Amino acid sequence: MVMNLNADPTILNPILSGDYNAAFVSSFIFETLIEYDNETLLYKPLLAESWDVSGDHKQFTFHLRKGVHWQDGQPFTANDVVYSFNAIMDPKVDAAGSRVSLRDVEKVEAPDDNTVRFTYARPYFRALLVCGTMPIVPKHIFGAAVDFNKDPHNRMPVGTGPYIFKEWKTKQKVVLEKNPKYWGGEAGINSLVFRIIEDSAVAFQELKKGEIDFSEISPIKWERSTDTKVFEEKFNKVQYYLPSFSFIGWNMRRPFFGDKRVRHAMTMMINKKDILAKLLFGHGVIVEGDQYYFGDAYDKSIVSDPFDPEKAAQLLDEAGWTDHDGDGIRDKDGLPFKFDFYSTSSNFATQLGSILREELLKVGVVVNLRPLEFNALIRAVSERDFDAVMMGWALPLDNDTYMVWHSSEGDKGSNFVGFANPEADKILDKVRVEFDRNRRNELFRALQKILHDEQPYTFLFNQATLLAYSKRFTNVKVYKTGVDIKEWKVK
Amino acid sequence: MFTYIFKRIGLIIPTFIGITLITFLIIQLAPGDPAAMKLQGAGPGGLKSEAMAKTVIAQTRELYGLNEPLYKQYGLWLKRLVTLDFGESFKDHRPVIDKIKETLPITLTLNIISIFIIYLISVPLGIFSALHPRSVIDKITTFALFVLYSLPSFWVASLLIVFLGGADYLNLFPIVGFVSDGASALPWYGWLGNVAWHLVLPVMCLTYGGFAFLSRLSRASVLEVIRQDYIRTARAKGLPRWKVVYKHVLRNAMIPFLTLMGTLLPALLGGSVIIEQIFSIPGMGRLSFESVLMRDYPTIMAIAAIDGVLTLVGILISDILYVVVDPRITFNKLD
Repeated sequence: MVMNLNADPTILNPILSGDYNAAFVSSFIFETLIEYDNETLLYKPLLAESWDVSGDHKQFTFHLRKGVHWQDGQPFTANDVVYSFNAIMDPKVDAAGSRVSLRDVEKVEAPDDNTVRFTYARPYFRALLVCGTMPIVPKHIFGAAVDFNKDPHNRMPVGTGPYIFKEWKTKQKVVLEKNPKYWGGEAGINSLVFRIIEDSAVAFQELKKGEIDFSEISPIKWERSTDTKVFEEKFNKVQYYLPSFSFIGWNMRRPFFGDKRVRHAMTMMINKKDILAKLLFGHGVIVEGDQYYFGDAYDKSIVSDPFDPEKAAQLLDEAGWTDHDGDGIRDKDGLPFKFDFYSTSSNFATQLGSILREELLKVGVVVNLRPLEFNALIRAVSERDFDAVMMGWALPLDNDTYMVWHSSEGDKGSNFVGFANPEADKILDKVRVEFDRNRRNELFRALQKILHDEQPYTFLFNQATLLAYSKRFTNVKVYKTGVDIKEWKVK
Repeated sequence: MFTYIFKRIGLIIPTFIGITLITFLIIQLAPGDPAAMKLQGAGPGGLKSEAMAKTVIAQTRELYGLNEPLYKQYGLWLKRLVTLDFGESFKDHRPVIDKIKETLPITLTLNIISIFIIYLISVPLGIFSALHPRSVIDKITTFALFVLYSLPSFWVASLLIVFLGGADYLNLFPIVGFVSDGASALPWYGWLGNVAWHLVLPVMCLTYGGFAFLSRLSRASVLEVIRQDYIRTARAKGLPRWKVVYKHVLRNAMIPFLTLMGTLLPALLGGSVIIEQIFSIPGMGRLSFESVLMRDYPTIMAIAAIDGVLTLVGILISDILYVVVDPRITFNKLD
């Protein structure tokens, strides 16, 4: 099966890599102790057969699956897990991403070859997940390495997974072949070829030419270029939703957006239904909350403010933003309502920005569009140097949004809009040590209500991922969060 | 003359240090910290708080040698450069020199072919226009070349891909990469043919815009020479027209082209980001663009240093060539 990646993976070592493409390719080669179940979105065993949690929720003991081997024939043992943890924690190893995730793990021990015990610094509802999804690399290969970062195996990895690394031609392709001795049984597809094609239009042409079997496609292509008979004979199209959402964040430290009536007014000036239909061709859902829209923590009864310019104008009047000096622009205390709208320079962001500017001008508010390169945008946001910013969050499942909303994260953390609400703080503190899934979901829903009422963000969309794949593949199941190539077969 | 060359080479060194120092400072000033960027891709994991992230960022900066004061970092870079060690990439810890070795031949091939074609077509075209000034053909070529010049290359590339390499119209040319998979098994002529086949569309995109500038330049310089008294004298004493053009006009008209030599060398190496990106060609353009986006300082610095040296050497060569081709120019007065 041939598929395309939009960039070369940085490095094929899950401890060192931080990009999506590397993670995607690595996911066929490497495995973790536990993983998410496609159907239920709950944890299930992978390299660990089972696990015990201590009464104080601090100790996690994983019982490893027996008879698992690395692809070079060496047995997989608890020592590999301990070694991987120590490598991640070693400051000489360039594993910033993995290290931050595991900061609260105090130690990892191997009482015997088939048992590994993680000790967490404090009780935390995601701790099991953090420990269980830690990347694991073979000790017998890296243990002797002079420099972990430079080891040649970072470009020819050895894992325990269903696919074996075969070849990597930089910026051209990565080839994997199925592992005939995989502990979980042989995979259905013989080889996976990831071709690096950065331009999505070219990738789409390659798909149509039959050079690629599997590719994500953009909403406009889905609508305009895939309804031909030839395409439909060759390909199936599916869509699914990864947990993520886009939003506009209002910097509450700025005089414009300190008042929630103004923030609601902004939300009412954005015709989300129209934008969804015109820019995304309906391939998305309008969200009004920070949890995964299709997960069980999301409260669908909370809906976004409808598009209503009259109500918005009224709210702005109430908040004191009226046109005092008659120049057509609202002002308050001598300050005209002119603000900078920061975003990336992607098509979607700039088009949405233009629509927003046009709409807001009608009610006497001036928007200056400031599209920036991604890193420059991140800097503006982390220095709190913006009025409004359009961004997106890609969420993990079982998301903990403490760092996004808690008032303690307002100065330096990810709470860049400066949201501070004592009730929300209380909920966020409680969520972290609530181990009952149902009670935790209730807390998340209570938080969602507060977020709706306060509108620190104007929540926008969870965009659909659109996929076309060749009809020669069978056993293709579409789950909430995507497809699982590992279970596919060829006709 | 040799004293002059010696002096010029002596001047190259401080200029080179100036170029790299400024580049070094500019990339440090650009927003985005390579260590902090390693965290962005990681996503939320455990109880991540700012304090913890800070420790890890500091450790990563230490690993990359970014905690040293700037003058020390630059000094170290310069010291390593003397032994032609460009350091290792922040992205994947591979030696930067390996990455350049991988991409350079590809970009060189692409650029040599394109530049050769540009010269091959536009110089004769310019001369022809100059010899027939204000004729219908002159007007048509001028107009056509300026139309080509104003077409953006990404747009032309997209059209070429859809119409000449896509699935719906003519599927004549490959649109991805520099050479087919498995082409290395072919005999050398088969391999060469395969590369040539892959390069048709990218070379088309890289050349059409260059015709206008060069043909105008050669037209102007030929026109300039053709009006000189010695040309009239040559014709008056009965030399045939072709001989006048070939012996007197062209040789003199080509002198301004030497100035272009200075830009030719770096132009050979600088890849076109847009074309390489669209056609998935793993060349220098993509390498430099990607390292800028990732704030991969060692790679950026290496590319800047190589470009700097080539520009300086290119300028020196063109200055020396002036003396070689034009006896009126000499260095003697400078000595």
